Amino acid sequence: MSTASTPPAAREETEETPSPARPRTDRYDASSITVLSGLEAVRQNPGMYIGSTDLAGLHHLVYELVDNAIDESQAGYCQRISVTLWADGSCAVEDDGRGIPVDLHPLEGRPACEVVLTKLHAGGKFKRQSYQYTAGLHGVGLSCLNALSEWLVLEVWRDGFHYRQPYAAGQVAGELAKIGPSDRRGTRITFRPDPRIFGAGLALSAPTLVSRLRELSFLNPGLHIRLLDQGSGEEREFQYDSGIAGFLRHLNQDAKVLHPQPLALRLAQPGVDIEVVMQWTAGYGENILSYVNSINTVHGGTHLSGLKNALTRTVNRYASEIGILKAENGEHISTFDILEGLTAVLSVRMETPSFEGQTKTRVTNPELKTMIDEGVSGALLAALRADSRLAAQVVARALDASRARLAARRASERIRIQSVDTRVSKEVYQRQFGIRSQNWHQSAVWIANHALLAEHVQHLPSGHYPRMLDVCCGSGVVGASFKGRVGTTFGLDLTPEMIALARTRLDHLSQGTVYQLPFRDNTFDLVVNREVLHLLPNPERPVDEIFRVLKPGGLFIVGQILPFGPEDAAWMYRVFKKKQPLIFNMFQEDDFRELLLGAGLVDLTMSEYRLWESIDVWIDTHETTNLHRHEIRELFYQAPQEVREVHPFEILPTGEIRDLWRWCVFSARKP
Amino acid sequence: MDALHGLPTHEKLKQAFRLEAGTVQRYLYFARIADIEGFPDVAQTFRNLAESGICNAQGNLDFLKRVGDPDTDLPIGETDLNLTAAISATILEQTESYPLMAKVAKEEGLLDIANWFETMTRTKKVHEQKLKKALAQLAAVRQEEPK
Ligand SMILES: Nc1ncnc2c1ncn2[C@@H]1O[C@H](COP(=O)(O)OP(=O)(O)O)[C@@H](O)[C@H]1O
Ligand SMILES: [Mg+2]
Repeated sequence: MSTASTPPAAREETEETPSPARPRTDRYDASSITVLSGLEAVRQNPGMYIGSTDLAGLHHLVYELVDNAIDESQAGYCQRISVTLWADGSCAVEDDGRGIPVDLHPLEGRPACEVVLTKLHAGGKFKRQSYQYTAGLHGVGLSCLNALSEWLVLEVWRDGFHYRQPYAAGQVAGELAKIGPSDRRGTRITFRPDPRIFGAGLALSAPTLVSRLRELSFLNPGLHIRLLDQGSGEEREFQYDSGIAGFLRHLNQDAKVLHPQPLALRLAQPGVDIEVVMQWTAGYGENILSYVNSINTVHGGTHLSGLKNALTRTVNRYASEIGILKAENGEHISTFDILEGLTAVLSVRMETPSFEGQTKTRVTNPELKTMIDEGVSGALLAALRADSRLAAQVVARALDASRARLAARRASERIRIQSVDTRVSKEVYQRQFGIRSQNWHQSAVWIANHALLAEHVQHLPSGHYPRMLDVCCGSGVVGASFKGRVGTTFGLDLTPEMIALARTRLDHLSQGTVYQLPFRDNTFDLVVNREVLHLLPNPERPVDEIFRVLKPGGLFIVGQILPFGPEDAAWMYRVFKKKQPLIFNMFQEDDFRELLLGAGLVDLTMSEYRLWESIDVWIDTHETTNLHRHEIRELFYQAPQEVREVHPFEILPTGEIRDLWRWCVFSARKP
Repeated sequence: MDALHGLPTHEKLKQAFRLEAGTVQRYLYFARIADIEGFPDVAQTFRNLAESGICNAQGNLDFLKRVGDPDTDLPIGETDLNLTAAISATILEQTESYPLMAKVAKEEGLLDIANWFETMTRTKKVHEQKLKKALAQLAAVRQEEPK
């Protein structure tokens, strides 16, 4: 087998004269070694500096400028920051700080502002004289931004004058000029992202900037931030004096909180200042935001693990102190259960943060972990001991979570055993859908999305449909969307909770199982169903039942989320099973067709819709345990290349994941 | 044929390879959970050991290479051999291993697991195609080489 290959050495020998067609430039000597100037290197490999050249990278450019202004404010010199989006795609960031120095740099012999805009690793934050706490450090922000901008205009107001200097693709396009006298102070940088780098289709978006700017204004109380979108004329202003306590209130504004007064504490050591606020809610998600010098550490780090450690240790310690937990019998409340429903903001200011990677999403200073772990443990234990009502609520919440997790696990164990006779136990479904959330269906946009429902209805050819059945109707939204096109609407569901909800939407409701529909043969002109069959063991049985109750000529319209292909099916299986342990099938398109045709249905058609949805919302239900929520996010973060090639999803700079559902609506007729 | 072939030690090497390969996967899985629970040091320990596990698993392949692929017993070593062995393995998996697993799971009423195995069967079909394409491309490159 190996004879097909010739070792390279032998090949060269036979090649005595170089082919004349080949130019001599492929010589490999000193002339082949390219030395890219710093800025060319940035243009060639932008991802290394700003993370990516997609939307996230594009917005990162603005954040570099805003971060510089924030640093100016953290140093005590800037009160106002203004961001303007211009209709031509350019953006201006202005502050009233000290202004980037314009005097000649002693070594470079050029104005200092020109040096920081054209040389990598030039800046005033390496030494801690001019700035104490900073987001910037490496002195690459401005020069990268400049390199990745089609054009950029720098304006500085300082020392009684207004200065201006233009740049193009990172290069100086004119000398620094004194425009005239001025008593203002500050910096304004206007730039247009280079479409050759970011693609012409990408544009800066005000709503994306809003959340970051709002967060920054909470983190820097008193600072005034303005966002003006010249395209829409919309203007937003942010100024909060409430700090992270206000931020927490904002985050929890729609949540049902467990205790009215958040836990707040502050820890200070020379060079480090830490603030934490925490409040538990009745929700299932865990929402802990962590910052170091106003940088959002999306991937956490030592500060976050210190906090988690402290919470776990302290809640366990307190629970066994008051005798709720028998620690000596090995009883233990897990970190997941304690974090369930917790909203927290952790803000660290420190002189010497160290980060992992270029995008600064994870902090690594080991001293943070001990400081926060010890500080928070002590303060939290004191708070729990001092307020027995609060303590009881926090501990009960965690125990409740741990019991629900066990119940969920037991539910999925039970159903395995019962699935031998393919009957789904009502109690199991009730435990999964009924107890803690009456409106689980709201967690999934595809169920309630009106446009999609309308498309669903489009599948119904005009005609006469006296009786329609919405099978496994849930809250009845699917069936209800057919109203006006059909006569009497019937609904069937297993749980009384869902039936009660559906009563407001459908005419007649029956409680029962889809494995044995409580209707006579040939009863319905139309049966509809969405996103249920994958939850049912032996799905061919319910489809047979649906076939049975359809009148000859009657139509079955069924919607189902399907993987894009076999490439993402196993991955989606894992994601869905973690979202909801009751899943039994990850249908692929041909499986699903076979399922319908196998029952005897004919005239099968299918339409496909694509729908973006936030994963965080989708998994915020009690059927998804906290561990599973984390694991689902990890599955997206670490999705294999093979999956990424076929299955679009995006991870926003905030760490939020948006997935594209492939929503397929099938319709088929009973002959 | 290498003297190792068919000896009990040959079997032991296959077993050692599976042990180490399994260890790597378990440790990586455990590391992620440790990370989520907020024990990055434990996670790092697991990851470091997993890295050694990769080295160890491949150490077994260093020997096994002399006698053949641990999964298919086909010769391995050079890329075209490796591709051929990998292709046979995917075929074996989609026609025998996973269908049998699915059948067992179904008989035991574990229908979600049966569906998981069936999903694997389909995945392996795709992998077979991808590997075959790589093999064809390799053959095409070989064709172009100067004699
Ligand atoms: N808005 C500003 N006001 C005052 N000085 C600034 C401003 N923006 C940047 N600078 C100066 O330019 C330097 C370079 O900025 P940058 O390239 O973003 O690197 P870094 O922020 O990591 O130091 C900063 O260190 C600071 O000295
Ligand atoms: Mg900076």
